[in-house]
Parts: sequence; structure tokens; C-alpha cells
Amino acid sequence: MQSKRRIVWVAAALLALIPSLALAQDTKKKVAFVPQIVGIPYFDAMEAGGKKAAATLGVEFIYQGPVDTNPVDQMQIVQNLINQGVDAVSVSVLDASSIAPVVEAAKAKNVKLFTSDSDAPNSGRALYVAQATDEGLGFTIVDEMVKRVGDDAKIGIVSGEATASNLNAWIGYMQARAKDKYPKLKLLAPQFAGGTAQRAAQIATDLMTANPDLKGLIGVASTTCPGVAQAIETAGKIGKVIGAGYCSPNTARAYLKSGALGYSVLWDPSDLGYLTVWAGKQLIDGKAIPEKVTPEGMSHPVTFDAKTGILLLGDPAVFTAANVDNYKF
Amino acid sequence: MTRRVSPILVILALLWLLVVAGLALLQPRVIALSTVTTVLQYSTILALVALGQALVILCGGAGIDISVGGMVSLAATAPLLFVKAGLPSLLIAPGCLLCGLALGIVNGLLVTRLRLLPLIATLATFYVYSGGAVALTAGAAQAGVPPLLLPWGRGAALGLPLPFLTLALPLFIATAVLLGWTSYGRWIYAMGFNERSARLVGIPVDRVRLIAYAASGMLAGCAALVSLAWLGSGRPNVGQDLELTSLTAAMLGGISILGGKGGVLGVLAAVLLLVTLQTGLLQLNVNSVWQVGIVGATLVLVLLIDNLALIWRTS
Amino acid sequence: MRRFLSPFGGRESLLAAGCLASGLVFAYLSPYFATADNLFTVARNSNELLLIGLGMTLLLGVGGIDVSVGVAMGLAAIAVGRLLLAGAPPIVAALAGPIVGLALGFVTASVVVLGRIPAIVATLGLFGVYRAAIFLALGGSWLSGLPIGLTNILTANVLGAPLSLFVVAIAYLAVFVAMRFTPFGAHLLASGHSEAKARLFGVPVRRTLIAAYVVSGGLCGVAATFYVATYRNVEMTIGGSLALEAIAAVVLGGTAVTGGRLSLLGTILGVALLRLLQNGLLLVGVPSLWQTVVTGLLLLLVLGIETLGGSQLLGRVTSAFATRPARGAAR
Repeated sequence: MQSKRRIVWVAAALLALIPSLALAQDTKKKVAFVPQIVGIPYFDAMEAGGKKAAATLGVEFIYQGPVDTNPVDQMQIVQNLINQGVDAVSVSVLDASSIAPVVEAAKAKNVKLFTSDSDAPNSGRALYVAQATDEGLGFTIVDEMVKRVGDDAKIGIVSGEATASNLNAWIGYMQARAKDKYPKLKLLAPQFAGGTAQRAAQIATDLMTANPDLKGLIGVASTTCPGVAQAIETAGKIGKVIGAGYCSPNTARAYLKSGALGYSVLWDPSDLGYLTVWAGKQLIDGKAIPEKVTPEGMSHPVTFDAKTGILLLGDPAVFTAANVDNYKF
Repeated sequence: MTRRVSPILVILALLWLLVVAGLALLQPRVIALSTVTTVLQYSTILALVALGQALVILCGGAGIDISVGGMVSLAATAPLLFVKAGLPSLLIAPGCLLCGLALGIVNGLLVTRLRLLPLIATLATFYVYSGGAVALTAGAAQAGVPPLLLPWGRGAALGLPLPFLTLALPLFIATAVLLGWTSYGRWIYAMGFNERSARLVGIPVDRVRLIAYAASGMLAGCAALVSLAWLGSGRPNVGQDLELTSLTAAMLGGISILGGKGGVLGVLAAVLLLVTLQTGLLQLNVNSVWQVGIVGATLVLVLLIDNLALIWRTS
Repeated sequence: MRRFLSPFGGRESLLAAGCLASGLVFAYLSPYFATADNLFTVARNSNELLLIGLGMTLLLGVGGIDVSVGVAMGLAAIAVGRLLLAGAPPIVAALAGPIVGLALGFVTASVVVLGRIPAIVATLGLFGVYRAAIFLALGGSWLSGLPIGLTNILTANVLGAPLSLFVVAIAYLAVFVAMRFTPFGAHLLASGHSEAKARLFGVPVRRTLIAAYVVSGGLCGVAATFYVATYRNVEMTIGGSLALEAIAAVVLGGTAVTGGRLSLLGTILGVALLRLLQNGLLLVGVPSLWQTVVTGLLLLLVLGIETLGGSQLLGRVTSAFATRPARGAAR
């Protein structure tokens, strides 16, 4: 009992020291980014870009993300950042309603809340930093596939989590494009593989078995890329089935060179990360963003639509075996 | 059932003080009412689910409920699917509770009637419930939550979030009273301690166990309702990972995995500790992966210390 | 205890019947199911689960459990992957898997046996620790595009079948021989049945438990080598759901979670049935999202049938054709 009481006193004494430990307020503004999940190359690249922007623009960059795709976990991180008093928080939302509960709290604390990489359109977010329009992404990947396999081929789709709204938006646009422009194209219903290479490979292989006339396989989440590509290689179908996806060059390089992947549609996530931090700074400074502007430190202009609040990085880029070595993320 | 303070609770209290003191030193800005509100808000769902888990484990018979996360996910989405099919949206609140209750009763029947081992029975239902929630909705969050619920789900009174104040806290207190002061509670402890003796004495072991699983289901339904009112939509994966964290919270809270030992207030304390720890680490901008590791290590260490204390005390 | 010696016990027969029945249904509904290519694919996708399931069979048989097997495999896979990326000869990298696995198995054994923490709780804690370790060891990224050397070794054709098949077969045979012809088998089942009684009989319970966890760890390590060879990618989420899948497959196969009874053939059939269903359902057009639901329903179905006495009947029927008694010594 003695030792327990002593511990309580020590703790109380420590707590009483708080007023005298007033830490100097940090004068640098803080911009945070919350990805959908940590530990995947795509978001790592965004983090790298964000850090670069922070150094160039003179702000502090905080990168904090959940370890699983539970929306509550992501929200907890956003809430804590708001409570911490960061000046701007951007979120790659897992679902459109991911940040709805914290929008009010953010406004109350004068924290600029905005989305990046994945949007929550009607939640009251300040703006959305988009890599490319969802429409552009969906359309491009289908167009590129048709260029390679023809407009009457059968194409399979392997996505990651069924609960990721941005992935589902891209699939929606893929299907819309196919219906409008390529009526003879047979786009199979999407299958969901979760986050492991094993499941992606298993499902991709089964899709190829079930449809021997399959000409293309699109991996929608960056986590499905290695699995889908490996499945094509293992099945010995290089050249017969064209793999594609929104894959980072580092992940896709070996497969682009072996031919398992025909192409990859992406944008530079580090550019997106850079733009995210830049947008945060603009919001903090209260500066309106013009319709077309080249942010400090970036090499090409970006466009802003004030009506929808979408800050667009640019058009999607297509990587092939020819140009993949120019990119290091 | 002993009344002395279990060493686990002491360790919990010490850990809590450590976390708070550490935070106070490193990030004093955090010691504010808003942090308390945030911690309690994020504790609500876990607390409800951990309470159900604790009840099931206390009943003994290798009791465990791996399907709690799945029950929350399904109870959060199924009522909204029914609303789409024509159910009046006023019935969503009772709908969540009834859904959870039904799912829990299924678990209870599997364990008591079919005599399946709880680990396996709830593993199977975990697959069915969590898979079912995602499959039925194709992963899309379900809209249709009546706007009336949102002020309750997101509101607070005196810094305490309303769902915590009006749902979680009363349920915990009620369960603590039930376990400590009613014959029902004595039955549960007796069953957990020694099932054979309990049966011989005439305790309706199967009925009590069935009710425990049903209660776990209903509490999952409550958690689902909270998630609907808070998030504003029905997420098919809102229960993801809850089975592991609720088990961790129950173990940290002093519930013995063998049953018959432990109290629910310890579970509440453990839930608060876990969320405070998470909050603290996030405020210090420690990578969230460390959280998972620290919680896991804490679980192992706390139980090790508890064992060592037992050996030390009895030697 | 002689239960595992008779391959025609009720549960195994039920599973075999299930495999056959579902195979016939799928073959009828999809022309691509019953092809050699497809069945080889199913087999290839089952390797990790077979190995981890083997370890889990031993653990459940001894009355323990381990929910961290998937992430332990992940850690071992990182070791294999990093060695491959550093240019080490594939054989060396291949051995890194089992070595790391054995080490992790020993860690688990220490916590459970020496620390005397209930297995499910201890391994739950270790699950979290290993997950964090995976993230740290990966440096927050992935290992991608791993060299193909290891893959070539494991898929090398030996007498018409890939080397991987032989490795799995040897693993199962080794365990079978250990269970049947060495004291380890008797010790394991006795410890699983009742630790107290086993101790009274002089069974070295602690040593047996430690051995079981270490062997299971080693098998996870071998599975890691297979994973890296087959998928050439180590991602942060690796192995997340494998533990529960393994438990499901092993329990399907007739091994009792309470310990004292295990079935190696049952585990093989359980894994086979699970993977066949996943494959077949996709081939006939059932969306992949329903696969988990089917797994759960399958568990309930098989266990329900058994509880209601169905498989005993089946066992009696098939044992009439077997040359050895269906039920050995009484438990």
C-alpha cells in the first residue's frame, strides 16, 4: 500500500509541473496528410513529396495513417490531428462519409480540412487535390487496353477492398466508358482481393481459367498489381493476356519489362503529395487559388475549379516498359 | 470471486498514470477537455463490444466471441438495406438492436444446442457475418440514416459524448450491478469457475450462456447503432479488427480467459487505457504501426506480470 | 489416440465426400474446372495454407493455438526477400525462411510455455508485436519484383511434379512418422488430452509444448519461402488472415481444438476443400466477396452434420470397406 501511494504522489507532482513547463509555441505552420493506409509504396511516395514541399515552403509536414482500412481508425487519426491544433489536414478518405463527423470540429478549431487523392464531395471539405479526374483515370485505362487488345475483347477487373470509394468510382467510369464508346467490349464484374499479393494472384488466375479468351486484366488497387502481374507470368500467358493497373513504377518495373504488364496508368504521387502540402499552405494563408497556376517548386501548371473545389494535378500518365526507368517511385 | 484488488487493475492504473504523465510532459496542449471528449467518443464502440466479449468469456466453457466485429458490421448495414426495401427509417434504431440480438442468439444456439466449441462456432459466424456485410453491400457504405440520430451520435454534454453517456456508461453500470449484486451474476461466476459443479447445483448453465451470447449480440447492435449515428452511414467494415481489440481489452481488464474471474469495470478501464494510449501516441505523432505493437506487447507483459505476482504471492 | 491412424474416420470421409461432391458440381457447371491446369493452380495456391495448417494441427492437437502464424510467416518472408534482393544465392535465401520461423516459434513457445500465459492471449499479443515488426522491417514499403531464382528452384520439375509438392509431402510425412513412430506423438496427444494426467504419466509436457510451437514456427518459415517464391512480393498486409483460415481448415479436418486428437489427412482434405470451393465458386461466377461467407457456412455445415451424427454413419459405411478398425482404442 505504501509503494502504491508513493507512486500516486509522484505522478500527481509531475502533473502539477505542467504549468511551469509551458513549451514555446512552434511558429511553423503544420500541414498534415492522412493516407488510406500506411506501408504501401503509393502513399510513401506522397509522403516524400509532402516532405519536399514542406522544406521548400517552410511549413511542418505531418504524415499519419491507419494500419488497416477501418474507417473509424482513419477518423480517429484525423480527429487527433485536429485536436493537436495542426493548421491544415488533408485526408485520402476511405469512404465519402469518412470525415463527415469531424468537419464541424475542424471548423470550430479553425483547422483547414480538405481531401487529397480520394474525395468526399459533399462533406464540406475545403477543396480536393485530385491526381486526375476519376473520369480521366477510368477512361484512360480502358482506352489504353482497347488500343492493345481491340474493342471486342473480354477484360477482367481485380480490385482491392470493396469498401474503398475511390477505387469503386474508377471502376464505375471504366464501365461507363465501355458502355458508351466500346459496346462490344466485355468488361467482367469486378472481383475483390483485399490487400495481399496472394489473394490478388489467386483471383487473377481463377479469372483467367474461367475465361480462357480473356485478353486483359486490370488491377485497380496498387496492392493488386504484383499479384495480377505474377499470375499472368505464372500462367505463362505473357502476351496473351495484357495486364494493367494503377501501379507504381517500382512495383511494375519487373513486370513491364517481362511483358506481364502492358502498361500502367498513374500520375506522380510525390507530385500529388507536394501539391497537397502546397494547397494546405494556400488555405492557411487564406489565399484564393487562381484557375491556372504553377505552384512554387513544381514544374508544370495545375488547374483549379472554384465551383467544385477540385485542384487538378493534371492528366494521367501512361507508363510502359519504354519509359518506366525514368521514374523512381 | 475474490474482492481484493487484482494486480492487473493496479498495473492498469499505473499504466494510465504513465501515459497521462508522459503526455502532460511532452505535449501539454493535449490536456484539454476536447481530448477527453475524443477519447470517450472513440471508446464507445470498443467499450460496448468489449462488454459483450467479457460477458461471454466470464461464462466459462472456453467462451469467446470472435464474431463480434462481424455482428457490428452486419447490424450496421442490414437495417439500412431493409430501409431501402421499404422499412420505415424510424425503425432503424430498434432494427440494429434486434439484428444484433438475432445474430447473438445464433451464436448462443450453436454453442449450447449444437455443442460446438465457442472458438469454432464464432469463427464460422465471423466469416458469415463479416463476409455477409461486405457481400450484401458490395462494399458500399449505406446511406439512409435518419438525420434525427446524428445530433445524438455526434453531440456531447459537459464534454462527455452522448452515446457514451446515454448508452455505454449505463450499460456498464447495469452489468456491473448484475454481476455483483444479483444471483444471475453469481451464476455466471459459478459457471465460469467450475461448470460441472454449477450444473450439479442446479444453475441453468445453458440458458445463462445463451443469454450471454444474445447479450453480446445486442451490445454489438448497440455499437452498430452508435456507428450509424456517429458516421452518418452504414459501413460494411466498421467492425473490422474489433474481435481482436475487444479480446485485448477484456484480457487487459482482468477477465480470465478461463472464465469466472474479473469484473466489467476493469474492462471499461482497459478500453479507456487503450484509447488514451492510442490518442497519446497519435498526438506525439508516433507512427500508428507502433500502436499495434505496443498494445500487443502490453498485453503480454501485463499478463506476465500478473503471473509473476501470483507466483510471488503464493511462494 | 489411434484415431489419427485410421484414414477412414467419419470426418475425413465426410470431407472427401464433400470434395468429390463439390468437384462434380463445379465440373458440371464450368468446363474449365476439371482441367489439369486448374487443379494444379489450386494445389499451388494451397501450399502456404497446407504448411501452416500442418503446424496448426500439431498445436491444436497439443491443446494450444497460435493466431500469429500468418504474421510470423510475414517476418520470415521479409528475411527471404531481403536476402534475395541482396543477391544471395536462392538456396541461402530459401533456408532463411525456416530459420527465422524456428526462432519466432521459440519466442512464441517462451511466452506461452515459460511465461504461462494462455496461448490464445499470448499469441494475440504477439500478433500485434509481429505486425509492427513487419512494418519496421519493411521500412514502411514493400519488397517487389524479387528475383526469379527462388521461384525457378521451387517450380523445378522433379519426376513430373514441382519440387514444392515434394517439400509439402515430405513435411507431412515427417510429421506422420514422428507422430506414429516416436514418443513425441504419444507425448503430444497425451499433453493435449490432459496436461495434468500426462505429467503424472511422466510425459515431458513442457518440452513437448515447446517442440510443437517451434516446429509450427519452422513450418511457417517454410511457408514464407514458398510465398516469396510464388508471389515475388512481400507487402505489409502479408499473412493477415492466414491464422484464422488455418484454424478453420484444421478444424474442418477433424482435429479437436480442445486437444488430444488430430488428423493430418483431415487437414489436407480441409485445405483442399476450402481452396476448391474458392476456385470453383469463382469459375461458376459467384462474386469473390461471397467466398468468406461460404467458408463460414461450410464450417457450420460440416460441424453441424457431425454433431447430428451424420459423419459417424458415413464413417461406419466407409470403414466397412477398410481393412483396419474404424475406431481404435477408446479415448
